[in-house]
Amino acid sequence: MHIDRTHRPWLVGTILLFFASVIVYIAYALQIPGGPRGGTAVGLAFGVGGYAVMLFEGLLGVRKKVPVWRLGRASTWMRGHLWLGLLTLPLILFHAGFAFRGALTATLMVLLVIVVLSGILGAILQHYLPRVITTRVPMETIYEEIPHVRAQLREEAEQLVGTLAVEAEHDDKVRFREIYASSIRPFLEAPETAPSPLFPSLRRATPEAFHPALEDLENICEEERQLSRQRHLYHWLHAWLLVHVPLSIVLLVLGGIHAVMALRY
Amino acid sequence: MAGRTRTTKKLAQRIDLNYFKRAYPIPRWKRMLSIAAVGLGVAWLSWGALTGRQSAFNAGPLARAHVILTNNCSFCHVPAGGFGTQVTETACLACHNAPAHQASQTFTPVCTSCHVEHQGAFRLAATSETSCTQCHSSLKTTGRKTQFAASISSFQSGHPEFAAVRTGHAPDPGTIKLSHQVHLKSDLKGPNGPVQLQCVDCHQPVSHAPNAPVAPVTYAQHCASCHPLVFDSRFAEPVPHQDTRTVHDFVVRKYTGTGNSATWVAQRVEEAERLLWQKTCKECHVLTYPAPDARPEILKSSIPIRWMTHAKFDHNAHQLVTCTECHAQAKTSNYTADVLLPGITTCQRCHSGATTAADSRCSECHDYHDWSKAKPASSVHAIADFAR
Repeated sequence: MHIDRTHRPWLVGTILLFFASVIVYIAYALQIPGGPRGGTAVGLAFGVGGYAVMLFEGLLGVRKKVPVWRLGRASTWMRGHLWLGLLTLPLILFHAGFAFRGALTATLMVLLVIVVLSGILGAILQHYLPRVITTRVPMETIYEEIPHVRAQLREEAEQLVGTLAVEAEHDDKVRFREIYASSIRPFLEAPETAPSPLFPSLRRATPEAFHPALEDLENICEEERQLSRQRHLYHWLHAWLLVHVPLSIVLLVLGGIHAVMALRY
Repeated sequence: MAGRTRTTKKLAQRIDLNYFKRAYPIPRWKRMLSIAAVGLGVAWLSWGALTGRQSAFNAGPLARAHVILTNNCSFCHVPAGGFGTQVTETACLACHNAPAHQASQTFTPVCTSCHVEHQGAFRLAATSETSCTQCHSSLKTTGRKTQFAASISSFQSGHPEFAAVRTGHAPDPGTIKLSHQVHLKSDLKGPNGPVQLQCVDCHQPVSHAPNAPVAPVTYAQHCASCHPLVFDSRFAEPVPHQDTRTVHDFVVRKYTGTGNSATWVAQRVEEAERLLWQKTCKECHVLTYPAPDARPEILKSSIPIRWMTHAKFDHNAHQLVTCTECHAQAKTSNYTADVLLPGITTCQRCHSGATTAADSRCSECHDYHDWSKAKPASSVHAIADFAR
């Protein structure tokens, strides 16, 4: 998500909520006997507030599963997720009085820190990488289509070389096909690991009649290269979710158990 | 050759319309990791619950004194109707004695509001400053006006000067005539040559227990070696350090034992008692005469054992500083009436309230509970109740 001016109200709202929480916490911490902790009325209020925000954060995943439901714009949900999510850490720290204490609460605190940090990392990546992809991958396709498009590119290259519509000696055609098989095909089959074909030297090694075909192959290889780049950038763009989402879910589940047990005891 | 073209139609034809039906690595891993993480978390908590270890749900480590109850939540958290449990006063008072604070206090806080558990291995009695200042920063009482300072926010703010050294304070009630200045001089005449007395030669805590008061000076232990009660060079044995009647009987017995006449004995007794009453005893004690010719009576020494009746002080904990750092007046004091206690500013030099300073919480010096009203413990628990 690109963070632009439209985020300003959310940013201001988050900052105001944060400072309001800080003021309440300081006033409460200075007068509560025994120091601030989760079991006091104010501590409990911070905990309930923090967990409510976490639940809202979790609902973004549900919202994405039902895109056609009239539950507000996805971008609004995303902005809420991004900015309110930042509030969870201070709210929970105020709830706990900045102490990790028991095994479950300490685990929850570590999980929360990781989830918030991974979320911040994700927000940064999602802010910058789409623009990088736009400029560095003009031939971008849907990520999930990459293997399919690659197969098509390979097929296109094979077809091009198999049906060479070039007026040339038979031996030259055979030689051109050999060059394709040894230099270009390995790259098209494994663009991430095979060496990239050196088209200037291939051009020098082949008669001029083959140069248009060579140009098409170069074009196909460039598209392959861009798809590799897109795949690489896409992994950066989404891999943080492998940490953020599972830990968010476990945080919600264990947080719920903590809430139930804390209310019991 | 026509060359490659990238038309919208060509691009659209390349799309596999069923792509969203297939599983792709990142969403698949996301799902698998989510299930695994939740499973792992729930398994961890379930394992603890199944094996009877409730420590995972602890809100924090218990105080050192309660650590044996770590896996036995229900020992303190008793059912409170419905789903919830509660740490009731009954749960605390089943093991602990908690006499009231003041008869005139406006409210009695519950145990757990001051003694906050699950905060780690420290003394629960060491309560926070706010436990006390919630009342003492603006003290209100039931009934008559309080004699205590009504606006104490901390040891540094609002705490009055110690009563013993406050302006217009009473003199030391002790009746023993003693000059600290003289006794701290160098080259004093000792039993085996010159001596330099140190404070600890006469003043030592009664025990090594925390907050043990300083033991009163006793003649036998601290004075006798330099001030023997010799009454006649014919006898090596000094008179006992007791009441004048016992001393009289001792002197009579000694002279009678010489086998001399009764007149001689009476004359020697009179001489010896004159020496004792008018010089030896009088050097330190105040003697009163009930009648002109009567034997004198020695005024009670009245050495105070505790100066701060509302506070406690641990000399053992303060032995890293020299005595005269706090009792500076001792070096120049010539009169028993001088109160040689330090003022609050001396304490505040170390107990300044700064994070790097010595602790200055109220509980360092004061007890909330009036332990003089403590009742004998009447616990109902067996060892098996808490040793799991």
